[in-house]
Amino acid sequence: MEDNVRYKRLKGSSNLRLRLVLATLSGTPILVHDIRADETFPGLRPHEVSLLRLIEKVSDDCLVQINPTGTKFKYKPGIMMGGRCEHDCGLSRSIGYFLEPLILLALFAKKPLSIKLTGITNDSKDPSVDTFRSTTLPMLKRFGAPSEGLNLKIESRGVPPRGGGAIVLTMPIVKNLEAVNWIDEGMVKRIRGIAFSTKVSSQFENTMIHAARGIFNRLLPDVYIISDHKTAAQAGESPGYGISLVAETTSGCFISVDTAISYLRKEESSEIEDERQELTPPGDVGEQIASALLEEIDQGGVVDSTHQGLLFLLCALCPRDVSKIRVGKLSPYGMETLRHIADFLHVKFHIKPDPSTGTVILKCLGCGMKNLSRKLS
Amino acid sequence: TILRQNTNLMHLVYGKTTSTATTSNNEAQDSSDDEESEDDAFFKPKGEGSKKLRDGLVDGNVNSNDCSKYINYAKDKNWKKEEVCKSIRDRFVTGDWSKAARGNE
Repeated sequence: MEDNVRYKRLKGSSNLRLRLVLATLSGTPILVHDIRADETFPGLRPHEVSLLRLIEKVSDDCLVQINPTGTKFKYKPGIMMGGRCEHDCGLSRSIGYFLEPLILLALFAKKPLSIKLTGITNDSKDPSVDTFRSTTLPMLKRFGAPSEGLNLKIESRGVPPRGGGAIVLTMPIVKNLEAVNWIDEGMVKRIRGIAFSTKVSSQFENTMIHAARGIFNRLLPDVYIISDHKTAAQAGESPGYGISLVAETTSGCFISVDTAISYLRKEESSEIEDERQELTPPGDVGEQIASALLEEIDQGGVVDSTHQGLLFLLCALCPRDVSKIRVGKLSPYGMETLRHIADFLHVKFHIKPDPSTGTVILKCLGCGMKNLSRKLS
Repeated sequence: TILRQNTNLMHLVYGKTTSTATTSNNEAQDSSDDEESEDDAFFKPKGEGSKKLRDGLVDGNVNSNDCSKYINYAKDKNWKKEEVCKSIRDRFVTGDWSKAARGNE
């Protein structure tokens, strides 16, 4: 291939997803080098390679070149195509890891995307598929994504280490996003949730639900957590249980938390192979996650800490219009996102603390992103 | 932790100059070298220095984990206690509406 393309050079594998999304949407070819070059197992991890392959799958005319050791790769973005496809996300990270960049790319595709993703649906590292359904997708509607065709269906659940879950995501396309003025966080009017278990007794869900309800009892009567007991083929390959909660406010904000408990993946458990790890009992899981939700509500802001990054990205990808948003404390990932947005899209946010409520107000002028691959008819 | 201090959030996020990942990394590396004596640094395995910075504001590790999920488990707060719950009572519809309305001004 000819190499007169000017690549933006980036070091290390950190924030790979942000870099790939922003490179694609801004049409910037990137060259990432020194990926874990000094580590015992150098190079890209299986999930990172899988993500690159996924992007290759849903786009046309893009180029991904990885060197033999995997410590360096080149990426030249193409056109996002959308359409129907399937992808195996593997077992090193959950489906949530792939969904976060994918939903942004799919909005700016040529055709609506319909994709079946297989792998791990719930784990403790990434937002679960339940959170995507309850919180992330409604967030896109705020920015003008049509609700028709915006759907996520859980066909089966899978937890680490062996996965076996499957979901179908359908995404609409947009001409452009719409800037928001979203600073009213409202008051929490109800709490919803879903507790699931795979390949264990249904008593696990009941215990988690009971424990979580116990924490909310004093604050709000409208708490409804459904149980989702999976067996046989729908339960994937490994035993596990988890819970995701979402608080809905009077102004239509969703604050969510989730977690899942299962045995660790091989690479994480390292030394002791045959010794069974201690798992957090379901009662404690319920209490912990309910407390975590209250902590998020206490922080304020129109989204939870986990969704800050996505919120900033959506604001930056708006037309040339001012967006104003309110968040709680800036999360580390949120700050990384802000830096990368400045780097790729040259959009800088105006960040001002609001001492009376302990929140932060951010303002930015969108980069004027338009969906150029969309078919004109 | 960050918010309560009177720091300029703009500087915190974007740095004083338009710092890229590499330059901020170098700065962070230098400051950590100053803190410990040179002998200590000599006997540290490679990569140890950057590990320390992971909790810092400037993420020194260029290969850090790519995770957006941030769960605050609130180990120091016991939400089962009445008085702790009281502190967020007005964030719920069951609380005082006038107080919340003022908060949104």
